[in-house]
Amino acid sequence: MADNRIDIQRPQRWDVPFWQEGSLGARRREMTEKDVDRILTVPPFSRIDPKKFPASTPYRGVLLNDTRIRNFSKGDIAVREGDYGNSAFFILSGSVEVVLERLDQSLIGRRAPQRKNFFSALAQLWRNPSQPEVRSRRKLARAGQPVPSWERDAPTNVFLEDVSVIIQGKATATLRPGEFFGEIAALGRTPRTSTIFAERRCELLEIRWQGLRELRLRSSEVKDHIEGLYRSRSLKTHLRETPMFRHLGDGDLARVAEATEFQSHGEFEWHASYNRVAELSQAERLQMEPVVAREGDYPNGIFLVRSGFARLSETYNHAERTISYLGRGQSFGFEEVAHNWRHKEQIPFQHTLRAVGHLDALFVPTLVIEQYVLPTLKEPDFPDPCVPKAAGQLFERRSGPLKQIGPETLEFLVEKRFINGTATMLVDLDRCTRCDDCIRACAATHENNPRFIRHGPVQGRTMIANACMHCLDPVCMLGCPTGAIHRDSRHRQVLINDLTCIGCGLCANSCPYGNIQMVYPRDAKGKLFYDQFTHSPIQKAAKCDLCADQITGPACAHACPHDALLRVDMRDLETLSKWFNR
Amino acid sequence: MRAFVFRRLLGLVLLVSLSVCCCWLDFSLATSLRPAARVSGISLLALLVMLALFNARKKLPFLPLLKASAWMQFHIYAGWFAMVLFLIHIGFKLPRGALEVTLAILFLCVTFSGLFGLAISRWSPARLTLHGEGLIYERIPALRAGLRREVEELVLGSVAATNSSTIADFYQAKLRAYFERPRYLWSHVLGYSKPLHQLLSELEALDRYLNAEERKTMTQLAELVRAKDNLDFQRAVQGMLKGWLFVHIPLTYALLLFAAVHGIVAWGFT
Repeated sequence: MADNRIDIQRPQRWDVPFWQEGSLGARRREMTEKDVDRILTVPPFSRIDPKKFPASTPYRGVLLNDTRIRNFSKGDIAVREGDYGNSAFFILSGSVEVVLERLDQSLIGRRAPQRKNFFSALAQLWRNPSQPEVRSRRKLARAGQPVPSWERDAPTNVFLEDVSVIIQGKATATLRPGEFFGEIAALGRTPRTSTIFAERRCELLEIRWQGLRELRLRSSEVKDHIEGLYRSRSLKTHLRETPMFRHLGDGDLARVAEATEFQSHGEFEWHASYNRVAELSQAERLQMEPVVAREGDYPNGIFLVRSGFARLSETYNHAERTISYLGRGQSFGFEEVAHNWRHKEQIPFQHTLRAVGHLDALFVPTLVIEQYVLPTLKEPDFPDPCVPKAAGQLFERRSGPLKQIGPETLEFLVEKRFINGTATMLVDLDRCTRCDDCIRACAATHENNPRFIRHGPVQGRTMIANACMHCLDPVCMLGCPTGAIHRDSRHRQVLINDLTCIGCGLCANSCPYGNIQMVYPRDAKGKLFYDQFTHSPIQKAAKCDLCADQITGPACAHACPHDALLRVDMRDLETLSKWFNR
Repeated sequence: MRAFVFRRLLGLVLLVSLSVCCCWLDFSLATSLRPAARVSGISLLALLVMLALFNARKKLPFLPLLKASAWMQFHIYAGWFAMVLFLIHIGFKLPRGALEVTLAILFLCVTFSGLFGLAISRWSPARLTLHGEGLIYERIPALRAGLRREVEELVLGSVAATNSSTIADFYQAKLRAYFERPRYLWSHVLGYSKPLHQLLSELEALDRYLNAEERKTMTQLAELVRAKDNLDFQRAVQGMLKGWLFVHIPLTYALLLFAAVHGIVAWGFT
């Protein structure tokens, strides 16, 4: 081989089995063929037909590589409320307790973020390599070696010291052998909704989401089982978190839940058509967005956004004008339903609700709201009076801070689906002097490799730079065969584990915003790494990690001398509005 | 009140208050026969060092040394304050002696280059945004080469397709040099758009010699001329935004050096 290359074996999906991942330390237990045999005797795994799995990912292989058995002692936390989970659990023995109410965060071991200390941060000044994308050969070619704990989404092994005192007065539920938990967060790319801990000594089978996805895809037993759980557990939690249902007793809440319908609008894999849709005219794009509720129709119920995004628009002369966007946890139609219940004069829906990309919604019929919710609602909890649109006041109230942003910018943010970002990089072009201090800071904190491009779509004086937005709905995570791209459970950034990334490029292709780059690692002398069998260069996915390990937070925003750059959660409308009106 | 307006007002009030206090202190020291010049000189030197540290801060983005925008605000108002201190230090009189004159000239050069930088930092970004497609400075040479190739292909294609040399002759006479290298940079810096309009009107004047096919080519050519104009504009204005620091920073180091020498000399002979 030539001198300027190093041949190694291309990393494969199951190079790092699930049992080798994470910071289990002494608790790490190898997943053996004997363990797989044991699992295959337990329903629903015993009922799954291995023939439904392709030769490349056999059923036994999934169990051997995508699952691990973990032992928990009494009080050990299995999942924590608020963590982004990449795995689900199946109870093999013992039992766990689900805390249905919020616990004090310090009690469940949520610690301050782990970042570089001052001296290791300073050392970047002289330690950064001169070559781009430098990796050590030892790390890159270490197939089968355990992944360092600091790289992975560490599982929680926090211990609740005095269980009885901590959960005193809190609503709990017990789960027993044969039951799943954590599947909603694992499959929905959402945070855990409850804290679950071992009620007594128990043995849990943890399944990483790639494996769970395979099982659900190939087995109707697992699929039905999970969907049944999803309906019964997720629905009640969601309703309980919605302000208008908060005051309901368990009985009434159960009746509301029973009458609630699940609705799904748009494409689940919306990112696949994103670029094609972007080329259409505004009117054509709007026509492609499925209408969930139409302005002028009778308000037959309220819609609660479970996941995804919705556009709220109103008729404006010959077209539709976007006035707001809704995300997870927000509702539509309650004002109209409440108005009609209180007044003789009946009004229809005042706005149109459309799915932007994909939208999972809950629909609660008007009759149920009128029967169980409105009669028990206290005066301050009623929505503001609904003034028919002609008066123009509803727009004022609904838009709130968004009104400050301006209709063109709002249309732009919704059209391009930048509302998905939790750390969207906005650049004020009227203040940006193009000095590139942001790029230099990014490079300095990433071993001389800038992780974003100061370029991107522009609306007025605002540019959305090509930097990972750490999306609320991170479609880049769909399909990653090894789970290298994951949500950090502590800081909630979307991160790439460089060691388990096999360079397949799925995440880069899936990111509709083009914010993930495929890079070619090399050693300190600049030699590229090549696959020793196919002789093609090794690739890795790279993107903004929001400076997860830096003490300053995002270096780009920290380094901008002109207040031109903002990393913002698009749900934070106050900050957004203030920034647009400085 | 908008955040920036509030910040400016606050900065201004602090600057004026501090300046008045310093004038009063200097007057008090001078009337009580204390070394007022030494106090103002040391303060000024310390302030200059602090101002110069902003550049060092930029090299250490990974350290928690406050946000660069906070440093920038300090740099702006402390820069104004340094001017007040300088005037107090020289007693509102012209300096005498080679070292003092050099030092004063250096100080004024640094101050005015800073003020120039501040002014263009506030005005130029909006000009860049309004002018056309935003471009990354480092990519401009490659984009220019691409445009030039495109124009040449268009012109050669036109000759082959129409058997007419009108466009090719005009290209040789006017456009070749225009697309070859950055042009009219000073016009762009000063916001003077006559060269573009002149070129476009010369293009329009050719219209009477063209057939329908050539007119299509000419329309495309006019678009490419505008694209090149945007490239030149972006290069000129972005270059100015980057370039002024190459004056401001070296002069700052020279000023610090001379100020230190001046301090040692003044200390030694007092």
